[in-house]
Amino acid sequence: MRTKWVSIMCVSLFAVLFLTVSVFAQQPKTIKIGAVYPLTGNIASTGLDCRRGAELAVDIINGKYNLSLPLAKTEGIPNLGGAKLELVFADTKGEPKNGMSETERLITQEKVVAIIGAYQSSVTKTASQATERLKIPYVCSDSSSPTLTERGFKYFFRVSPHDAIFAKDQFQFLKDVEKKTGKKINSVALLYENTEFGSNVGKYAAQYAKEFGYKVVADVSYPANATDVTSEVGTLIKAKPDILMHASYITDAILFTKTFKELNFTPMGITTFAGYIEPGYLPAVKADGNYIVIRSTFALDLAKKKPLIGQVGELFKKKYGVEMSENAARSFAAPFVLADAMNRAKSTKSEDIVKALLTTDIPGDQMIYPWKGIKFDPKSHQNIYATGTLVQIQNEKYVTVWPFDAAPAEVIWPFPPWRGRK
Amino acid sequence: MQNVMTKQFSYIGIALILAIIFPLVVTNTAVQHVAILFFMFAMMAVAWNIMGGYAGMFSFGQVAFFGIGAYTSSFLLISYQVNPWIGMIAGGLVAAFVAAAIGYPCSDLRGHYFAIASIAFGEIVRIHFNNWKLVGAAEGLSLPMLDGGFKDFMFHSSKLPYYYIMLAFLIIALIVCYLISTSKMGYYFRAIKESHDVAKVLGINVVWYRLIAIMVSAFLTAMAGTFYAQYVLYIDPESVMLLPISIQLVLISMLGGAGSVMGPVIGALVLIPLSEFTRIWLGHRGTGIDMLIYGFLITLISMYQPKGVWGFFTNMGKRAK
Amino acid sequence: MPEQLMQQIVNGLLIGFMYALIAIGLTLIWGVMNIVNFAHGDFLMVGMFTSFWLYTLYGLDPLFSIPICTLLLFVMGLLIYRFIVSKVMAGPMLAQLVVTFGVSIFISNLAVYWWSPDFRLIAKPLLSGTWDISGVQLSIPKTVASIGSIVTSLFVFLFLKKTKTGKAILATEMDREAALLMGINTERINSLSFGMGAALVGIAGAFLSTYYYIYPQVGGVFGTIAFCVVALGGFGSISGAFIAGILVGLVQTLGGFFFDPSYKYAIVFMIYLITVWIRPQGLLGW
Repeated sequence: MRTKWVSIMCVSLFAVLFLTVSVFAQQPKTIKIGAVYPLTGNIASTGLDCRRGAELAVDIINGKYNLSLPLAKTEGIPNLGGAKLELVFADTKGEPKNGMSETERLITQEKVVAIIGAYQSSVTKTASQATERLKIPYVCSDSSSPTLTERGFKYFFRVSPHDAIFAKDQFQFLKDVEKKTGKKINSVALLYENTEFGSNVGKYAAQYAKEFGYKVVADVSYPANATDVTSEVGTLIKAKPDILMHASYITDAILFTKTFKELNFTPMGITTFAGYIEPGYLPAVKADGNYIVIRSTFALDLAKKKPLIGQVGELFKKKYGVEMSENAARSFAAPFVLADAMNRAKSTKSEDIVKALLTTDIPGDQMIYPWKGIKFDPKSHQNIYATGTLVQIQNEKYVTVWPFDAAPAEVIWPFPPWRGRK
Repeated sequence: MQNVMTKQFSYIGIALILAIIFPLVVTNTAVQHVAILFFMFAMMAVAWNIMGGYAGMFSFGQVAFFGIGAYTSSFLLISYQVNPWIGMIAGGLVAAFVAAAIGYPCSDLRGHYFAIASIAFGEIVRIHFNNWKLVGAAEGLSLPMLDGGFKDFMFHSSKLPYYYIMLAFLIIALIVCYLISTSKMGYYFRAIKESHDVAKVLGINVVWYRLIAIMVSAFLTAMAGTFYAQYVLYIDPESVMLLPISIQLVLISMLGGAGSVMGPVIGALVLIPLSEFTRIWLGHRGTGIDMLIYGFLITLISMYQPKGVWGFFTNMGKRAK
Repeated sequence: MPEQLMQQIVNGLLIGFMYALIAIGLTLIWGVMNIVNFAHGDFLMVGMFTSFWLYTLYGLDPLFSIPICTLLLFVMGLLIYRFIVSKVMAGPMLAQLVVTFGVSIFISNLAVYWWSPDFRLIAKPLLSGTWDISGVQLSIPKTVASIGSIVTSLFVFLFLKKTKTGKAILATEMDREAALLMGINTERINSLSFGMGAALVGIAGAFLSTYYYIYPQVGGVFGTIAFCVVALGGFGSISGAFIAGILVGLVQTLGGFFFDPSYKYAIVFMIYLITVWIRPQGLLGW
């Protein structure tokens, strides 16, 4: 008898699976672009940020805006009869296997013509493998692992700078700041969390340290979810570096900041990646974050020199009620690049889009980033103009301090000691 | 009795035919993907069940074997161009060997001590792979795109081959489990589960049979690991060695009914589509509501159906008689 | 470099006392009921959020919210025992293992649902800053938390040894049937110890919130380490958990300092495995 029940249940569950097919029905009216982001799970708030950036970009493309962004002044894509873009979002939960399956679902069921997003580099890896297999263009503007554009993929393009570029920027900054202040820097300590992101930064930072002639006195990797980081900071104090270079996520950024203060670790400067610029970091540490330098591709204060940034920032704030963050700003780029390519290709066919992407040449004044423009390397498909900027936390605000000639604020250097701050 | 047996086989036959024609009817790749995941988790849960459900060793470190399988075949493929099928066997053997090496000193551990030791073991393996430069450390391994085809264990244009391969793996695991459960070994396992001391008095070599259970389980789990690597083409410690995967296997087995051949399959049939489809439908809202439902269900089932869905049907069947 | 070594030992002790405080609640539940409470880390999270909200909404410093945390968690533990855990006590062991997993997933995602997955920190706690004792930095909130841990552990220890209820708990832990025969209401003892276990981790949560960030998944790592601490000390042994907690704190810190921080938790787990190979019942278990 029990097998009867089992078979009834099997049949009914199969029936449910059959029925689900209808859910994935599609209606091709507009041009669909798939966007995969971690919308639930540990970094859901970051995923939401990215989602907003991409949504605002599509709004601007579809509507009429008096902005200098590509296709902003016209409705939709002019060369395709004013066709509108539609973003179809999918949740990866931040897991690589979902990156693959959701990308496949978007392409085969939702019939999207291109993919953007993913945020975490490991998810971008599997998602871009799926697009490569299914021959669909993927324009990424939010993942920063250098390995992504080292694979020679035909359909994968990256607009934003990657971690090797960021690492190089930081050393260039050290050289510049030495010249500016006359304070000699001899040694750096590298501190990085040991997932894919951190260890890549560690690898490239060590390489550039050698190139730029700095001595690496400590090379410390640690687990990102540590409960206590006093032993790591102890190692750093023992090494007495002039500069600390730290690649972290947000939780460890908070914990390290508190521990630096607690153990009174005061190098000449602290330059960092990623975690220190997440929207949750400053509200959590408040004034203890002051004077830390972070790599960035965007900051609202650049509006002083580039009004476009202020205008976009206003639109963002009006729509979502919060300030545009760095993550949102990065995700903002990909839809424009795709729309521009489709407009020039006058087609939504994958091969045509790819061909047009390869001849992309968007000038710097049409973007909200401090770059010369967007142009892809013919082999790696990395944007050759992508560079970073550096921001510093001053009075609990992110202000751009480097490159010196473009920066609206002066860098505060060296790092003031913890004890005796107000 | 004869009648019951033939009936049972006919039901299994029907289920098998349904499973075979399913992807031919449902060409939606998203649904096919969920079905593949279901087979994969069902297979691993069956493997877990051999050591957990039958031999009473509640392992929360099963994901280590999954990862070892995935890493062994991928590493051999990338560094020495070893065919993934051979890599899979190698991965199974490595996993079984590691299982024996860790299982032998643990052979006195029971119940909670074993559970905690297995968590510790899984975490040590994960941390080590996360720092092991030879296998890419945290960066993981990206598999090269081969031509595709059965020989390469890699298919680009369609999911069907993956589907049937995983179905075949699941059937292999079920046959292994069935053979064990009906053999003398199965009785020994159950005796050990009831009580080590009684099993010893009965003259059963407890250490030896526990090792066999762990090794068989590890081998099968590692096979699933190789499959995962060939399917997703990218592995890193975060995706193939994380504790929640181990926990999910325990939940599937428990939910379906540990200690029965088909229990884990039923458990996976409920849990995997549940978690995948709630993500697809509710996930983009990003409120964690799908996980809320999930946690609630688990609590409810362990309270009111502690023997799992399979136990529920067994009881229903008995009552109906 | 003796100063740095001293510093690391001090840091190891400070985090170790915290582990000990988290673990004694767990070991109590474990010893009395033979149940692994996988939701223990999430209880800790609830304790931390409680003191966070009391601080944010009513300006109550975490130090003063300790009694409220304790009481709230006690009631929560009691209810969870009454309505959930007690139902599986007679069931198969696997159900006992799994039920608290369900509770754990539920509580942590309820926190996501209510309070979002953001990170929070108590902005200006009463206790902050460090003492500089001849070069060794001593964090004030951590030191106070450690003193709290010692006092609480001592209190629990004396409670179990000196009071009638405490003795009943110990008796149940040693032999449930015998305790039942002696006229001890073991059901009442069960709910009491589950509540106490939760209350203890509530105290830990309040102390931890004075210097650690708070988010819905914060219980994960602390919980896993607490299992290790409890198993290392021996299930149900309060003094075992206390010693093991300090040991784990020291091993983690010194291992990270002298060896490699990426492996520090691996070293902790390794120590546990080696210990149970030699003594399957843990350091002070029987």
